[in-house]
Amino acid sequence: MPLPVLKGTLDLLVLRALNWGPMHGFEIVSWLERAANRTLDVDDSALYQAVYRLEERGLLSAEWGVTENNRRARYYSITTQGRAHLRSETKNWVQYAETVTAILTGSKESLTGATT
Amino acid sequence: MIRSDVRRLLTLKLRRRDWEREVEDEIRLHLELRAESLAGQGMPADRATAEAIRRFGSLTEARARLVDAARHREQRMQRVEFWSTARQDLAFAVRTLGRNKTWTAVAVLTLGLGIGATTSVFSATSSLLLHPLPYPDADRVVIVQQQPSKGNNTGVNVSISPNRQVVSAWMSAAHSFQDLEPYDEKDGLMRTHGDPSPVHVAAILPSFLRFAGVRPVIGRVFSASEVAAHAPVLLLGEDAWRTRFGSDPAVLGRAITIDDTAYAIVGVVPQVLRVPSVAAKPAFAWTPLNMADAGRSADVVGRLARGASVGTATRELESIQARVLTRGDGPGVSFTTILLDPSRLLSFRQSLVILTWAVALVLLVACTNVAHLVLARTASRGRELAIRTAIGASSGRVFRQLLTESAALAFAGGILGVVLAWVGVKATVGIRPAGLPELASVRLDGTTLVLTACIAVFSAVAFGVVGAVRTGRRTHDSLKAGALSTSHSRAQDRVRNGLVVTEMAMSALLLVGASLLVRSVIHLQNADLGFDPHGLYAIETGIAEPAQDSANTAALAQDRRNVALELRERLQHAPHVKGLTFSGLRPSTMSFMIGALEAEGGPVPDRNTMAFIGNNSVTPDYFAVMKTRLVNGGTFTDTSDTSPQVIVNEGFAREQWSGASPIGRRVRLDFHGHPGPWWTVVGVAQNVASAGPTEEGSAPLLYFPERYAGRAPALLVRTDGSKDAIAGVQAIVRSIDPARMHPKVFGVEAMLDRSLAQPRFVTMLLLAFTALATVLAAIGMYGVMAYGVAQRTREIGIRIALGAPAARIGRAVVLRGAGLAVAGAVVGLAVAGVAGRVLQSQLYGVSAHDPVSFAAGFALLFIIAVLACVAPTRRAVRIDPLTAIRTE
Repeated sequence: MPLPVLKGTLDLLVLRALNWGPMHGFEIVSWLERAANRTLDVDDSALYQAVYRLEERGLLSAEWGVTENNRRARYYSITTQGRAHLRSETKNWVQYAETVTAILTGSKESLTGATT
Repeated sequence: MIRSDVRRLLTLKLRRRDWEREVEDEIRLHLELRAESLAGQGMPADRATAEAIRRFGSLTEARARLVDAARHREQRMQRVEFWSTARQDLAFAVRTLGRNKTWTAVAVLTLGLGIGATTSVFSATSSLLLHPLPYPDADRVVIVQQQPSKGNNTGVNVSISPNRQVVSAWMSAAHSFQDLEPYDEKDGLMRTHGDPSPVHVAAILPSFLRFAGVRPVIGRVFSASEVAAHAPVLLLGEDAWRTRFGSDPAVLGRAITIDDTAYAIVGVVPQVLRVPSVAAKPAFAWTPLNMADAGRSADVVGRLARGASVGTATRELESIQARVLTRGDGPGVSFTTILLDPSRLLSFRQSLVILTWAVALVLLVACTNVAHLVLARTASRGRELAIRTAIGASSGRVFRQLLTESAALAFAGGILGVVLAWVGVKATVGIRPAGLPELASVRLDGTTLVLTACIAVFSAVAFGVVGAVRTGRRTHDSLKAGALSTSHSRAQDRVRNGLVVTEMAMSALLLVGASLLVRSVIHLQNADLGFDPHGLYAIETGIAEPAQDSANTAALAQDRRNVALELRERLQHAPHVKGLTFSGLRPSTMSFMIGALEAEGGPVPDRNTMAFIGNNSVTPDYFAVMKTRLVNGGTFTDTSDTSPQVIVNEGFAREQWSGASPIGRRVRLDFHGHPGPWWTVVGVAQNVASAGPTEEGSAPLLYFPERYAGRAPALLVRTDGSKDAIAGVQAIVRSIDPARMHPKVFGVEAMLDRSLAQPRFVTMLLLAFTALATVLAAIGMYGVMAYGVAQRTREIGIRIALGAPAARIGRAVVLRGAGLAVAGAVVGLAVAGVAGRVLQSQLYGVSAHDPVSFAAGFALLFIIAVLACVAPTRRAVRIDPLTAIRTE
């Protein structure tokens, strides 16, 4: 059974996908599915909403291009601002996840270790 | 980054329907790709499509959500784009403006001064002329007055307040008025707190508060029944309450004595409450107006009913008055009722109108100058703009850039203007002469400020646009070789010359106006008044009150007389006192008898022809003490009733006997068909303008022996004018027991000085505006000349190289400047010739077409214009031919 994507993390995942290079919507979805080994359940329309939101904030930019099969598609690429955002948010997310993991599974040592 | 920006610019052009379609396209592609991918994994085609749609979520819902998100995105990105461009433009504008600091400073200063000066004066106009009275529905408020329909040859505009009986009839019968409020004011003596102190008291009906739109601060208004019963109650002014009673609410019910009446305080009214005429004097207290006193008059202010015109209202009042007066016996002179706009009460009105015009001219000159500056600058930047266009800036982008520059300039100028206007208003209120207390109520007017700023900004932006459009048209030429000389087009020269001529014309107009006023003020100061005010003081023991209780009044008059005699006794031997005399009137006041005048041997007047006869009653030494010459005959030799003697002024002599000697001739007065005795003329006194030179001193006047008049006379004291003199006089006056009498000392010289304060103040302001406009015009002239020389550097260089003497080069430049100045001056003087009439009412001893002032205006303008040409001329003469030719 695939896991639903946690609120707020989808943006981060999209940015991560685009960090490889410009992609159109379906490529992003496919990348996510591959990267997560199909353990994440991404609602397709939710992905587009995330993309528009990111573009609005200037973290992505978009342009119309042509796919290998000669079809018109909207390609998204990450901006400098988006890259910076991805870096800092990734750090936050990792720290958060470690802390939560430590609490949930945990020995006191790893707890103090994670918070300092 | 650049690429993505360009791309974003492309998408910006999409209209709503385009990006809606884009969302559709994107969804469709996604579904197709998903279906293909599923089919690739071995799913049958139809199931694959269904699965793709399922995974996308509810399609209609998702589509709406995505379109919404996309719209949101587009709007925001457009906003960001707009502001980032604006920021870029602004930064660029500030940089460009900063590079040319002098130019920017001149432009900003010009705008600021124009906006500042105009806003301060327009604020004064708006507060004093457009909103003179703090009443609701002020546009329908009128002052009701009456004027004699004929027989007024007193030289002053006589208007009287209507009779109370008439006012009562108006109040009950007039339909053209929503409100009619009679009021009265007087100066009284308050005797409650220590020494008696003079206070200003207004009498009103209770409805006056509603009329004025105010409520008592504490307590209540007196009731109609209290008014009818003449109850001694009063409302205290808020200032009086705060300063003299420490804002004590317990003041209600307390009694204060004003003159001889003990009033009970029933309420306190806000200080904004005022009757129309006392802009200068806030009332200390408000008492009920006694309308039953039919013999007396009352001032009246009214509010017209909605839709009623001044014409119909006047006719209605006239017809009601006619009905009332046929019942009793009315005044012997027929009066016309007139309804005045409240701003007419303002003495400063005409001056303010003139100043408003003057400052409007200043604003125009300022705008013209800014237009100039902007035009010259855009022209000289032709190359820069052309290059920017050539390397890819769209014409719209360049246009927007120029607009941003103009806006930045206008904004800076506007800010400076607001500051200057604020300072201007504060300063004007601060230095206002004592004769213009109304100025204290002037406030900076927001609407005016915005309006003025808009005008200035518009001129800056409009000319920026004109310049930009022109430059755009010539873009290609500008880049060709020798572009500098091609951009110097004839059409632009014409516009620029036209602007200079306009500025010069407006300055000439102002210069002529200022010269006229300056000459008028000089005349005022040197005017022969017919008496010598220096060191002259008038002491009044009291102003005669019309009879209410005749026995009491007679006693009071007698007491006043006694005090006057006592004062004379004591002053006679005081140091610095050179002379003493009695006069029925103190200088600057006047008195009229209403009757018919008959000169012996002349036509017998119709007993219904009533005239105003100016008169004064004086003692024989009056003329010597006043230093008024007797041009014919001498002073009274006999002041007894047995041989009534009279002295006339020159004006009277000229009117009655047109030049023939009046000595020995006789005149008599007829009051309502009762002829008086024959008076023999024993002397002719020179005309006296005792209220100051602006008064018509030649109005006919009769001097009777003082003994004849029944009123309390004024004691005139002639001193040597030293500082100790007035102190000595004051000390003696104060020695009179204040409980008995409170005599007032008037400094005649100081009073005359105050009467000159207004013309001097107006002249000073007009001079300041004229100087401002002229300096601005000179800057404009300088700018055009300097620009002209710069444009023709090469040509001049060639001429010099070919051997043209420096003198000829210089002459050409100066002649061009002088030509512009003369053209402007001619236009300005022509306009001044027509518009001078506006000034006539403000001029004394100078005609509005005074050739000296016109010549002065012309000469000043010419000199200033030529001076503005000095620097450009010098630059032209010093052009080095080699450098000039090599520049290109």
